[in-house]
Amino acid sequence: MRVLVVEDEKKTASFIRKALQDAGFAVDACHNGNDALAAACATPFDAIVLDIMLPGRDGLSVLRHLRETKNATPVLLLSARGEVDERVEGLNTGADDYLAKPFALVELVARVRALGRRGAGESKSTVLRVADLTLDTITRQAKRGQTTFELTAREYRLLEFLMRSAGRICGRMAILEKVWDYDFDPGSNLVDVYIKRLREKIDAGFEPKLFHTVRGMGYLMKEAP
Amino acid sequence: MTIRRRLTIWYGVVLAVSLLLISWATYEEFAEQSERGRETEVEESALAEASEIIFHVGLPAIILGTAGGWWLTRRALKPLSELTKAAKGINERTLDRPLPRSGNGDELDELAGVLNAMQARLHDSFNRIREFTLHASHELKTPLTVMHGELETALRDNNLPPTDRDRILSQLDELRRLSKIVDGLTLLTHADSGYVKLKKEALRLDQLVRDLHEDMVILAEPTGVQVQLTACDELMVMGDAHRLRQLLLNLADNAVKYNETGGSISMSLCRTGDEAQFIMANTGPGISPEILPRVFDRFFRGDPAHGANVEGCGLGLSIARWIAGAHDGTIEIESTPSKLTTVTLRLPAAEPVAG
Repeated sequence: MRVLVVEDEKKTASFIRKALQDAGFAVDACHNGNDALAAACATPFDAIVLDIMLPGRDGLSVLRHLRETKNATPVLLLSARGEVDERVEGLNTGADDYLAKPFALVELVARVRALGRRGAGESKSTVLRVADLTLDTITRQAKRGQTTFELTAREYRLLEFLMRSAGRICGRMAILEKVWDYDFDPGSNLVDVYIKRLREKIDAGFEPKLFHTVRGMGYLMKEAP
Repeated sequence: MTIRRRLTIWYGVVLAVSLLLISWATYEEFAEQSERGRETEVEESALAEASEIIFHVGLPAIILGTAGGWWLTRRALKPLSELTKAAKGINERTLDRPLPRSGNGDELDELAGVLNAMQARLHDSFNRIREFTLHASHELKTPLTVMHGELETALRDNNLPPTDRDRILSQLDELRRLSKIVDGLTLLTHADSGYVKLKKEALRLDQLVRDLHEDMVILAEPTGVQVQLTACDELMVMGDAHRLRQLLLNLADNAVKYNETGGSISMSLCRTGDEAQFIMANTGPGISPEILPRVFDRFFRGDPAHGANVEGCGLGLSIARWIAGAHDGTIEIESTPSKLTTVTLRLPAAEPVAG
């Protein structure tokens, strides 16, 4: 997958690039809006990470221009302001996702990966599976071996989100956005407490353990430790 | 014309009118007297004559003079009371509205001018502080992003010694807290400057409250705090769902944090008239009456002795109050120390949408 990173702050651009490269992406970087537009028009990218505040042509203008010329490359907007208005404006202009600064790199990587998948089409399967745990998205039933688990609405949504991203780290903000529909960090340990409950229900008394904490980054579900 | 000159002229006029009246009456009296004198040859005593003049002419003249004086002072002071009334209405939001000026160049007009200039300077300072905070919170985000990114990059090194890893993780935790403070500050300063637009739509407040209840039961579990939802009327409000969730969660967060082991929280949502009334009451140490009025202040953390161990950004209630206000609602807090703290949120209820 080839990603274009457009960010004028050199240090930020450099670690975004490094993180994406470590995650196995081919990365091109540029530092202003005009170069970005030229690069995006010349090369087909699988995703673009686009900062809003750029010298010259700003990110929203680059995005508008891309969409006007029928360029549908998925775009992840970055913004220092993190304001709802900007988020809404960005998404209305045709951005596919939005991340407010300061962000966690794992979030960024996970979102870029999700953008790339969006083009390929997500798994349509109605039964999700991680090791011997299955989650039926129609009956909303979770089962491990012969045991069926009672899940509250919120627990179900959290489990579904984690299982759909199995094998990848899910950042706290992504979880709050997708499961709670919060666009702010509530500051409480809501996510941690819910994960702990899921773990007590689903992992206690079973092997292998499926829930893993990646300290300082987030959570992931996978079979191997 | 200055007030002094105007008052002098007007008082001269009142005085002249009074004197003219006295002179005219005296003249009439004497004229009558001499007429009568010629006919009857009987002379009234000088004393009776003088008292007649005093009662018939002096008294009305005194009354007229007093009334004139009262009218004059009232007229002269009227702009002053108008100015007082206008100045009373000044607050940090109305600083851009100047006081009315008569434009006649008198002392009061000059005073209004001076007050307006002072107000303009205040407005300017307020704006500068606001802009400073606005820019500061924005500027802080770039270095925060860089720090977060670099620490995370360092964390990915598999040869990192465990002690260094712990140190970095603890720094990441602090960084997260700092980011939250900056986020809160950004939100509030943007709100102060009127940059935050709410996305209002008709929504079910009772649904938000039920969601909150579910989260709270789980959040409060580790400390053994019981959470009850005693009433939850079906209620529609016009509101921004994200912001209202944030408001409710901020209240919930406090109710859990400032509680006691084995305590309780009770919530209710009721319709009272055309208002939605949400009440959240929690046990715990409570808030002493001296600091109660200040709990909505930014970064106010109350008694440092018992607030020190509670993690938070110090902006939760300020944000909650702003959100309530932006929905034309109010938020109040009452507390009986070491017993019960009650937060009451009132929002205008919307008519239920048909179907």
